[in-house]
Amino acid sequence: MIARLTRHPAVVPIGAVVLAILIGAVVILLAGLNPIDAYAAVLQGSLDVRNLDYTFSVWGFICGMGLVAAIPLRMGEFNLGGNGQLVLGGVTAYVVASQLGLPGIIAVPFALIAAMLVSGGFAAVSAPLATRFGIPIIISTLLLSPVAVAVASYLVRFPLAEKGSGNAQTPVLPEDAHIWSLGDLRYTTVGLPLMVAVMVIFYVVDSRSAVGFELRVTGANRRFGEYAGLKPGRLAIGAMGSAGAVAGLVGAIIVLSSPYRFIDGALISPGYTFAGLAAALLAGGRPALVPVTAILFTILQVGGASMERTAEVPRQLSDVLQGVVIVILALRVVLDRRRAGAGKDS
Amino acid sequence: MSTAAVELRAISRRFDAVVANDGIDLVLARGTVHAVMGENGAGKSTLMSILFGLVRPDSGEIIVDGEARSFQSPLDAIAAGLGMVHQHFRLFDSMTVAENVVFGAEPTRGGRIDRAAADARVRSLAERYGLDTDPQARVGDLSAGARQRVEILKALHRDARILILDEPTAVLTPSEVTSLFTVIRRAAEGGTTVVLVTHKIQEVLDVSTEVTVLRDGRVSGRFVTADTTSAELVRAMTGREVEVVANPGTGTLGETVLEVEGVSVVDARVERVSNVSLAVRRGEIVGIAGVSGNGQHDLVAAILGTTPVSAGRILLGGDDVTGAPVAARRSAGLAVIPEDRRGEGSAVTMSITENLSLGHHRQPPIGRPKGFGRGWMSLPAARTRASEQISSYDIRTSGEKQPVGSLSGGNAQKVVIARELAFDAPLLIAEQPTQGVDVGAIEAIHGRLLDYRASGRGILLVSHEISELLALADRVLVMFAGEIVAEFDRSQASAERIGAAMAGAAAAAGEEWTA
Repeated sequence: MIARLTRHPAVVPIGAVVLAILIGAVVILLAGLNPIDAYAAVLQGSLDVRNLDYTFSVWGFICGMGLVAAIPLRMGEFNLGGNGQLVLGGVTAYVVASQLGLPGIIAVPFALIAAMLVSGGFAAVSAPLATRFGIPIIISTLLLSPVAVAVASYLVRFPLAEKGSGNAQTPVLPEDAHIWSLGDLRYTTVGLPLMVAVMVIFYVVDSRSAVGFELRVTGANRRFGEYAGLKPGRLAIGAMGSAGAVAGLVGAIIVLSSPYRFIDGALISPGYTFAGLAAALLAGGRPALVPVTAILFTILQVGGASMERTAEVPRQLSDVLQGVVIVILALRVVLDRRRAGAGKDS
Repeated sequence: MSTAAVELRAISRRFDAVVANDGIDLVLARGTVHAVMGENGAGKSTLMSILFGLVRPDSGEIIVDGEARSFQSPLDAIAAGLGMVHQHFRLFDSMTVAENVVFGAEPTRGGRIDRAAADARVRSLAERYGLDTDPQARVGDLSAGARQRVEILKALHRDARILILDEPTAVLTPSEVTSLFTVIRRAAEGGTTVVLVTHKIQEVLDVSTEVTVLRDGRVSGRFVTADTTSAELVRAMTGREVEVVANPGTGTLGETVLEVEGVSVVDARVERVSNVSLAVRRGEIVGIAGVSGNGQHDLVAAILGTTPVSAGRILLGGDDVTGAPVAARRSAGLAVIPEDRRGEGSAVTMSITENLSLGHHRQPPIGRPKGFGRGWMSLPAARTRASEQISSYDIRTSGEKQPVGSLSGGNAQKVVIARELAFDAPLLIAEQPTQGVDVGAIEAIHGRLLDYRASGRGILLVSHEISELLALADRVLVMFAGEIVAEFDRSQASAERIGAAMAGAAAAAGEEWTA
């Protein structure tokens, strides 16, 4: 018990990353390719100055989806419904921005806020499902997510579809409803500072506010929280609602950015949700660490494409590495429990 | 015949800034009952964890049967002939006694567990050591005493020649204690070396042959039991003579702060509490005696609101809170020191400051209840408040950031008590407030409780230590099988009468009823 505390808490997460990279190298070697070339291509592709614009925008999205997992993780709950919450936010933002005919200065804020409300409300449903009906949040989020994705997919293919296009996509949004770019950057928009602001808010609320403290207590020992009079049900509504709102915000920013339309599958296929979940787990849910661990997954995500081009290693290797990191972290949870079980009172 | 079964030489182990063991030497002679005593935080648990391979020493030697050993895990210690019965049992509730006993070392036939052989093994061991058990019983249905016998059988099944018992009497009834001591003596006569970790002086005098006393991580005294006295042991444990705090007598009674009217609690279709009524007034300590598991804990949970009642009413300060959530009851004037301090009374991974702050975090000085800044906490205020409480309650720690889980049991309990007393609630429920706490700290905790009563508040004290109830309570109610079976006024209460009622002597207790 105590021996574990004396060990530095960063040992396991860093070990997990190193191990994942080594396992990845073995996989590349087995495929008869050169792992050093592959990893060099990953770094080059993601950190090249010409690509930084894109890299930063991806980092913002992964940070956002990191929070979507990290906020409920503070109270010990797993939100695996990021995809559904993300897509619902995207569709909502598209509808508000395109159908209401709002003038530019308010179209974007309205679309963002509406997306946050809808996704937040959708995610919050999982809280009463857990408190009232005993369906664990990890299960209900996982199962409700494809429903939301399917609904969005239907909307994009039929009522909102672009006429005459063979693709499952909406028409382009009016100019007024495009989210503001930062200078003449192509990918990075106002969305990035928004994401940074959300992370700062999460950090401050987590460490300084009564609600943040109550979330952490509930995550550390739920019975202790209940004994002290905390209400885990209400905390879960707040945590899931905020997580969903952040997912909705990410979805809205993506839809309101270039190419300014909702394309079926475009929000899910880059894998921001899973990368964010991995970043949150690697950070142990700690608000200050999520942006740091998100860097790693951003590099993998962005660099994966250039690795495929230059080193001929399929980009799916990025997913393999993410998967290995998660498995190792999950193993730690199991081992910790086992060790805690063998520990002593003092 | 060599005399030493185990020899520990110059064992040292530190955790962060705390030196838990500082050059401890311990010689366990074969076939003796060796008591290891000390206050909480004195290093007993660490030393035993080292001996059993749970913790590795920074330096020092472990010699078993004349051979130096280095235990990587308890499996190595078991292989060397050690067995340990932990304070918190490690059994599978849903499995039978025999399955639990042979687990990890099963007799097999053709690759399958030989249940008949397992039963026979359990029966023969039970008979040899006088451990009364039914091999077919489900462990979940057993009393604490019976579970402990299963733990002892488990160690004996693996041929333990050195048996470590960690606070074995904490959960036992007086008669179970007597039979445990018979088992211990019989095992020692058979050549088993028994290590008894305890802080109960009477037990040491009753059953041990030798005593080693630890204080602040060092050996502060070695005695042959026959040649020592309880005063000498207390001196070695605490370095001073402990004043026995006695109840200075009933103060003036004020208004009623708690009324429980005909409350029943049903859990998993079993009636845990049956039609219990009681009241606590300002200025009195009402004791509830009873062997663990007779409904006291369920009653406390019902008053706190973590368990629903199936019948009856609960009033705090005159307000009916029967269906109210925990928060409403706490703000109506309730504080609780829970029995399970690790599972319910603290978050072991969180810091002392955070543990002390919970429930106070929305009130000044930490929180701001209204106006600008509502809902925010002042971390500097929380730290200052924590360090004040650490010094006022004499919590031994390396700092207010230390996780509560790395404190010794007694110090962790002080954190819980400090937090709950700070609510200044008209009613305090103190459930086993000194369980697993050393003599010096017991005195301090008892003093705090008496002060709390003297300040005009009421206390409901749940304890299975009769001496504690006699020392503190103005009235003692005895719970047995979910009911209050006897009530004694301070003047009529005696260890014998309370003990008889606790053991379920309902007929005898009926005569003592004074309603």
